[in-house]
Amino acid sequence: MNTQSAKAVQVESLTKVYPPSTRAVDGVTFSVDEGEIFGLLGPNGAGKTTIMRILATLASITKGRAMVAGHDVSKEPAAVRSIIGVVPQEVTLDNELKGTENLLLSAKLHHVPKDVALERARELLRLVELESAGEMRVSTYSGGMKRRLQLTTALIHKPKIVFLDEPTVGLDIQTRTRIWDYLQQLNRDGLTIFMTTHYLEEADLLSRRVAIVDHGRIIVSGSPAELKESLHGDILTIEFADGGSDFTSFLERMDGVSQVTRVGDSYRLKLPKLETALPSIISSITAKGLKIRETSFTKPTMDQVFLEVTGRSMRDAEEPRSNGHTPSAPVAKDVTSA
Amino acid sequence: MISESLALGQRAITKWLRNPFAVVAALLQAIFWLVLFGNSFNPANALSPSPLGGGSLGIFQQTFGGAVNYITFLTPGVIGIVSLTTMSFMGVDVVLDRISGYVDTLSTYPIPRSSIYFGAVLQNIAKAMATAAITFVLALVVPNGLRLAGSFGFVDLLGVLLVFALLSAVFSGLFTGIAISVKSVDSFFAAVNFLTFPIMFTSTALFPISFFPSWMKPFAQASPVSLASNAARLLIVNGSLSSSQAASFAGEIAGLALYGVLFALLGILLARRALRPR
Repeated sequence: MNTQSAKAVQVESLTKVYPPSTRAVDGVTFSVDEGEIFGLLGPNGAGKTTIMRILATLASITKGRAMVAGHDVSKEPAAVRSIIGVVPQEVTLDNELKGTENLLLSAKLHHVPKDVALERARELLRLVELESAGEMRVSTYSGGMKRRLQLTTALIHKPKIVFLDEPTVGLDIQTRTRIWDYLQQLNRDGLTIFMTTHYLEEADLLSRRVAIVDHGRIIVSGSPAELKESLHGDILTIEFADGGSDFTSFLERMDGVSQVTRVGDSYRLKLPKLETALPSIISSITAKGLKIRETSFTKPTMDQVFLEVTGRSMRDAEEPRSNGHTPSAPVAKDVTSA
Repeated sequence: MISESLALGQRAITKWLRNPFAVVAALLQAIFWLVLFGNSFNPANALSPSPLGGGSLGIFQQTFGGAVNYITFLTPGVIGIVSLTTMSFMGVDVVLDRISGYVDTLSTYPIPRSSIYFGAVLQNIAKAMATAAITFVLALVVPNGLRLAGSFGFVDLLGVLLVFALLSAVFSGLFTGIAISVKSVDSFFAAVNFLTFPIMFTSTALFPISFFPSWMKPFAQASPVSLASNAARLLIVNGSLSSSQAASFAGEIAGLALYGVLFALLGILLARRALRPR
């Protein structure tokens, strides 16, 4: 496969400065393959929406370059607009129009012939389970229904790539799961999806590849599995029946244990390969005659990835910042295996 | 660009018709101007117990461009004023579309950005024409109301429609341009308040040019509301026009068209500035 032509999105050293000196995006480089779901993950205010607005031809570029399906967004915005679908964070439907009317207006403005549009509208409303609500005014819709309809207005013209800005923000878990289902289904049919999110599970579940962005920079990128693997292991927590002595150095000497932290009477062991390390750990402990009171283990999560690369948890990162740029942000690293 | 503008215009009109309050508000405004203002400020009231006796109608007609009563004189002016205020209210929809992100969404569509502006202009013209038609019919049915010249025919009606289509294009071009470039409803209303009163009062919408002091006359004569009111009055009062009347009618139409082009250009400039990526 020719990787050069297969890029749905290609961004090089992209910088966006809002006057006077807010660096919303600070030298970002990444690419999105055709047919993948790519997630831009980061706290609010990290620069995700700005990157998306640039790709959707809504914001100008201060420095660098952004291409969508081979078209430069600042030089050929019209070409870009004809092949993208954009779902903004806030619902931008017309409340006084019916669901179908909103959809057909979008079709008309995308130059979709009327008969094709009607057929496609039916299909899309079926996909998002709004067939029966199509003839109702949008003002009567719930928040989740509006979001689902908004999604269809960005798909009516069969775009090559769709940009979703926080597609499920503020929705209940049921609606969120349904939207995830639709997106996966659309992706299976060949649609390239670029989305921003600050939900770790959303990025983890949907994206083939994720880039974590913080303070306008991409800190790390790769598949969710790669990112989690890069943490080097699962965490095994052991609590011994004999709480008196310190077993830290005993545990550290074991094969397959990369790090041990004592938390009260329990020990947290970082295991790069839990599956192979676990049997020998248990047998060593048994051989020493120690009794285990309790064990538990956790798989690494995207939250831990975020913690590791930014030095703070996602929730702390959501705290308001005084300016848009921290010079001490960590240098980007790429753990993509290929 | 035309089909996109029409599609967007149609959207706004559907919206307008589904919100009867807006239509009712326009209707009420027309009634207030015609019935309340038309009767209380009727200058003929001051003239009627004239020592000149039966000559008062003659004096009235002389002063008021040949109109047989004040509402006949007033109707074109009221249509202009209602069109002006309708337009200023309608501009709010454009501001709200911008604030809500609707305009941003449209800006990601493969349509010329100017069609976003022209869509708004077109729908405002359509709305103003609808209110103009309502006002015209109302004026005909209110007591002591609009009296059309005996020879007023279908062509003259088309002429009146043309006058108000042009006037609403002038206002729509201006207010849509402003609406698209402000970022809040507050700033839009500040601009509207600043503009509508001078436009309304420095015109022959309510009174003939002879009522104005000399320093106001040039402004009142040049006002697009005056051009429209005078042109429509020529048709309403005279029906078929004499050649000199036709010439002044043509001059007024040309003036309105010039205003329309100027404000459309200004509006496009404002819209392009407001809608470019930043």
